[in-house]
Amino acid sequence: MDKKLGAYICGGCSIAESIDVDALVQIARTEYKVPVCRTHPFLCGPEGLATIRGDLANHAVDALVLAACSPRAKTDAFVFDPSVVLERVNLREQVVWSHKQRDEDTQMLAEDALRMSLAKVGKVEPLEPAPGEISTTVLIVGGGLTGLTAAAEAAEAGYDAVLVEKEERLGGHLADVRRVPPVRAPFTAARSSDLPQRIERVTENPNVNVFTSTNIVRTQGQPGMFDVTLQTGDERSTHRVGAIVAATGWKPYDTAKLGYLGYGLSPNVVTNLEFEKIAAAERWTRPSDGKPLSRVLFIQCAGSRDPNHLPYCSTICCTEALKQVQYLHESCPETEVYVVYRDMVTPGLYERYYRTVQDHPAAFFVKGDVSQVRRDSTGDVRVTLDHTLFGETAELVVDLVVLATGMVPNSTDGQVLNLPQEASSAQAASQVAEAEKKNGTSGAHDATGILNLAYRQGLELPLLRDGFPDSNFVCFPYETLRTGIYAAGAARAPMDAASAEEDARGAVMKAIQCIEFARRGQAVHPRAGDMSYPSFFLQRCTQCKRCTVECPFGALDEDEKGTPKLNPNRCRRCGICMGACPERIISFKNYSVEIIASIIKAVEVPEEDEEKPRILLFMCENDAYPALDAAGLARLQYDPAVRVIPVRCLGSVNVVWIADALSRGIDGVMLLGCKHGDDYQCHFAKGSELATRRLENVKETLSRLQLEPERIEVGQVAMEDYTKLPAMIDGFMARIREIGPNPYKGF
Amino acid sequence: MAEPLLVNPDRQFIQDVLRNGAEDVKKCYQCATCTSACPLSTEEYGFPRKQMLLAQWGLKDQLLEDPSPWLCFYCGDCSKRCPRKANPGETMMALRRYLTSQYDWTGLSRLMYRSAFWELGILAVVAGVIVALFTLPHNFGFGLLDRSGPAALSTVMLDRFAPVGIVDWGDKILALLLGFLLLSNAARMFLKLTRGRNIPAHLYINEFHRLVVQGLTQKRWNACASNETVKNWLRHVFLVSGYATMFILVVLFLPWFQVENSSIHWTSFLGYYATAVLLATTAWILFDRIRKNTEMHRFSHFSDWLFPILLFLAAFTGILLHILRVLNQPMPTYVIYVVHLAIVVPMLVVEVPFGKWGHLLYRPLAIYVAAVRSKARELAAQTEGVAVASEAVASS
Ligand code: SF4
Ligand code: SF4
Ligand code: SF4
Ligand code: SF4
Repeated sequence: MDKKLGAYICGGCSIAESIDVDALVQIARTEYKVPVCRTHPFLCGPEGLATIRGDLANHAVDALVLAACSPRAKTDAFVFDPSVVLERVNLREQVVWSHKQRDEDTQMLAEDALRMSLAKVGKVEPLEPAPGEISTTVLIVGGGLTGLTAAAEAAEAGYDAVLVEKEERLGGHLADVRRVPPVRAPFTAARSSDLPQRIERVTENPNVNVFTSTNIVRTQGQPGMFDVTLQTGDERSTHRVGAIVAATGWKPYDTAKLGYLGYGLSPNVVTNLEFEKIAAAERWTRPSDGKPLSRVLFIQCAGSRDPNHLPYCSTICCTEALKQVQYLHESCPETEVYVVYRDMVTPGLYERYYRTVQDHPAAFFVKGDVSQVRRDSTGDVRVTLDHTLFGETAELVVDLVVLATGMVPNSTDGQVLNLPQEASSAQAASQVAEAEKKNGTSGAHDATGILNLAYRQGLELPLLRDGFPDSNFVCFPYETLRTGIYAAGAARAPMDAASAEEDARGAVMKAIQCIEFARRGQAVHPRAGDMSYPSFFLQRCTQCKRCTVECPFGALDEDEKGTPKLNPNRCRRCGICMGACPERIISFKNYSVEIIASIIKAVEVPEEDEEKPRILLFMCENDAYPALDAAGLARLQYDPAVRVIPVRCLGSVNVVWIADALSRGIDGVMLLGCKHGDDYQCHFAKGSELATRRLENVKETLSRLQLEPERIEVGQVAMEDYTKLPAMIDGFMARIREIGPNPYKGF
Repeated sequence: MAEPLLVNPDRQFIQDVLRNGAEDVKKCYQCATCTSACPLSTEEYGFPRKQMLLAQWGLKDQLLEDPSPWLCFYCGDCSKRCPRKANPGETMMALRRYLTSQYDWTGLSRLMYRSAFWELGILAVVAGVIVALFTLPHNFGFGLLDRSGPAALSTVMLDRFAPVGIVDWGDKILALLLGFLLLSNAARMFLKLTRGRNIPAHLYINEFHRLVVQGLTQKRWNACASNETVKNWLRHVFLVSGYATMFILVVLFLPWFQVENSSIHWTSFLGYYATAVLLATTAWILFDRIRKNTEMHRFSHFSDWLFPILLFLAAFTGILLHILRVLNQPMPTYVIYVVHLAIVVPMLVVEVPFGKWGHLLYRPLAIYVAAVRSKARELAAQTEGVAVASEAVASS
């Protein structure tokens, strides 16, 4: 179907003063034969919008090219029916605000920008949402504080919840503690955990379906349509859910690795969890011989904040220690309690609690490193401290040592199973069998599979920094690399009870959001609302499996032969698969190898003797492109020889585009995307990293073609780097000018 | 390597320090803001952070060997900056009180610092002794006055009441006694600070000038950066000058100072200076303490009140005595004479060897020993360095 194109060129925001708008009209009319082509001094105003709407209503046009401000601006004004193809030409931020007025090069830039958009819009097809029957039930995995809160919150928000707990009882670690640190003014005394009320809130709610002593043997499908098979004893049931909250909690750090702090040396060295039991039993005596406790030492950071153990701060153990010190103050006020810390970490108003506990006459705190723990014949434990704030090495002789063991997320349980493996649907049966074996018929959960995802990329949530599944803790908490599955509570990051509650609410919100987007056939963040999704021209698929391996979100499964099979609701629409596919058979209706190729083709490449080089910038839409807008907004100037092509993610850049560009005589190509690495700034987790790697290969190819590999560069930009962008671009331009014109010009 | 310090909190000690004014010491969380703020703290003597910790943990022996409390001049910068409002400056003050009581071998000091009752009691006893001295004997004070006829009742004749020769003797005995007590306490302090430290004797001689200079000027105080410091230091210098003038007049020049009749003598002018200075400075100090407007005076231990009050009263009764004498009012002169002595003597007896005035010797002594200790450490480090170097040479 041929589109009826309408091109509208705005003259406002100093566009008309800076460039020759009529020349643009000429290009649209003559080069692209656009039937409706108008200019307006103020396109986003009511009059301008009325003109566009009028043309649409008269069916004079059904596809729009708006040459005005950045597609990121005026998004509230330029809204049209989704069936209308809309393309915006960034004349304001990236042409007139960032380049010389009334200048030949600026004019050429504006003209190319219009050409590129007109070329693109001819290829774009209107979007239709992916079909599907969507479940609005939320599955909550884990019945501890986070899980209980999440289930209650989901149900109270009007979404059914299924709560699965592997133990017989609900409550998780909360059921094992006498009290919890204070969260309300005056923050001076530990409080009850209110567990019975919390459990009641869930069990009394008819919209929550609670399964205890239950494991998940298989999770299949995609957001909106997960089929989860539960096993309770010998009974098995399957539930359809829309999204999943993984609130699988934590376990204490392995005590076997705490020998260096004396664990195992004497019964008089215990962990904080063991001490909680001692306190519950009110057994204020020395475990070894029943002597009353006269001196107790708390050693903080037992295994935490240590490169040889857990690199992170477990967050709760300082406050927990304060609480346990307070138990002693209350029950045996004469017992001297020593605390040796690296730093007391008492976030927020727990600081007040610290003050209160510290004020007790029998409380003694000092910073130091434990260098030796010995046991003497009397049963006393002798602890040597180095680097103390006393200014010298010190020794304490105590009856009991309590180690502040840190938190390890339970999500690591699945790690062994998480290696990419072939998990086709034919293997489903054997996978279930495998999971069953691991979980045992007793229903006991022996540190193996939790979700048992029937995903090609593995059974569990992929673990990122420090063994946590949080995939972008800077910008998008709760997100994991599995769409529709949100981590919450201590499974996501070390946190205290109060934060876990908050976390549960946040993750449920994300789950609900995901369900609602799925209902509308739309993507979740970061392309929230996007209705495009990749389609595969499978006749030409060679089963190379690159797409199924490289998709950061495990959206693609495989059949027996290795042919990819998309689960659209798992897909984040990043296009990384499209960038990966050597056969170029993956495309979106509005974003494809072909569309971008035609954009590249639309760029006019001046002859060599004109001495006007051209470089192409592929810019990630998430940070790099907005940063360039910001540079324009700040009126920062850069070389007008650049032609910008926004891409969904650098990972979606197919190397064929680079070949296309260079063979057309374009002098250089620069890829600008998010920072990669541990801080997960890349919005699609692995995209910019993948692009960097792929480009290395391209550079090798270039050398073989007698082209300088320096004609291609990859750069990383964060939003706040916008001030540096012009220098990055100009620097690249300078290097290109030095290399000289592309020898393929004019071929 | 040195033996590790066996940490054994002395709870009684903690109580004592708390009672001496360090009520907030337990609030400290060792951030060391105070030490960074302190203009006098050095790397070697990193006070007051470390003293906060030692006090919290009741590490009495460590504190007894530590000159730091005396190196602090209480500018209060630390307390102003402390994020926990732990009042490190006041803890240093409390430690000085505590240390004073520890240097004193008679044990009186401890009693006095622990309770106002004891301090007032001892003052009252000494005052009682003075009154008794003037009322009970036949040939001194009112007894002598009775016997020496009516002349002394119609015109001032101090020799008929308190013969200057006797008073002068009493004076000298008192000075010797107090001097002995103070020196013996200082000697105990010196031993505590130097024991077990292998300090070469020549260092004591090389650094001796510090003792003299600091003792006379307390000029170290001026290193404090606080705005109030200069004011406080000047005030202190004036106070000391007034006090010293008076002391010299009384101890060395009593025969000239205690004027027999209503005439005005050259010593009177020195007396005026001293009185004016003492009245003004003590009134000012009291005013600050009442208003609590400077960090140094934000907290007032009982003994902090007593000292300027006594000094004020001493100066006040002194000048009153002078006025009555010049106005030739015999009986009021005699009575005020006794009252004056009943204030001055207890004040001296209690404050010099047992109380706050001890700092006049303890402070310079601590500065001196601290300097000696630093030098000794430097020397030891040097010889060690030489030893290591020669070892390295030998082994290569
Ligand atoms: S919370 Fe405290 S004890 Fe726990 S790891 Fe952090 S600093 Fe160490
Ligand atoms: S677009 Fe991205 S998320 Fe979707 S299948 Fe491709 S690689 Fe995976
Ligand atoms: S006294 Fe105050 S400033 Fe000094 S270390 Fe303690 S808390 Fe910090
Ligand atoms: S009062 Fe002044 S001199 Fe004393 S420790 Fe504090 S800052 Fe240092």
